[in-house]
Amino acid sequence: MRLLRASKGNYQFHLGQREKHVFCELLGLYPCIPPAHQPLSKNGKVPDGELNQHLLDEALAEQRADNQNQLKVFLSDPLRLVPIQKEHDRGFRLTLSPAELEWLLQILNDIRVGSWLRLGSPEEPRLVLDAATMPHVWAMEASGHFQMQLLAAVGEDRDPPSL
Amino acid sequence: MAEIATPEVRPGKVETVEDKPELTLEPGYLVICWNDPVNFMDYVTHVFQRVFGWARVKAELHMLQVHEQGKSVLTREGLEKAEHYVHQLQKHSLHATMERDE
Repeated sequence: MRLLRASKGNYQFHLGQREKHVFCELLGLYPCIPPAHQPLSKNGKVPDGELNQHLLDEALAEQRADNQNQLKVFLSDPLRLVPIQKEHDRGFRLTLSPAELEWLLQILNDIRVGSWLRLGSPEEPRLVLDAATMPHVWAMEASGHFQMQLLAAVGEDRDPPSL
Repeated sequence: MAEIATPEVRPGKVETVEDKPELTLEPGYLVICWNDPVNFMDYVTHVFQRVFGWARVKAELHMLQVHEQGKSVLTREGLEKAEHYVHQLQKHSLHATMERDE
């Protein structure tokens, strides 16, 4: 995946054939983070703690359901990943609005963090690779790869350093 | 044009500190982001910029604090706003909680 251009509020990326396949397979894994995974507070000193925790879990669950629906539309849209018909380029062009790019970052990070959780939240990046861990390591690394490309594209529009 | 109201002074009525509304008694909540080894530093910085509207320099400072000190207090807010920020950060899969400021 590489940025072709960022202009007029749109980002255009190039994906090779295999990359496109990996991209779609990866997005099909969403959601990976289990529901009601994070506490609202560590020390629990929040008024109506149980109720507020329930409301947070519910809001995140709604968000997850919305994302799943949006993802179905995204992956089935024939204009989303357009084949490039050039002699030496059989890749695909992916066009994203800034809002879609932000959304995709969230989706990819859910897959990355969720895969890490399924690996047992290891502190060390070095893992024993076997049949059980390999799918999660693959998902973690692949989502990380796409995330970095998207973040680099956003960096093109980064605000200037303050003095 | 609006009239200027003259305050009504009643004899025998002395305003004390206790009569004033308790503006400062609402507890504050710290929104904290905790370190984890999985979220990319660039991603954390980016999320801080998006959620809080911070400039990159400020977002990076907090991200580095998370990375080096294990956590960063991002803001101190009332209950509802703190909940809102925690929701936004968790929506982005960051490890964030709110703790009562004591």
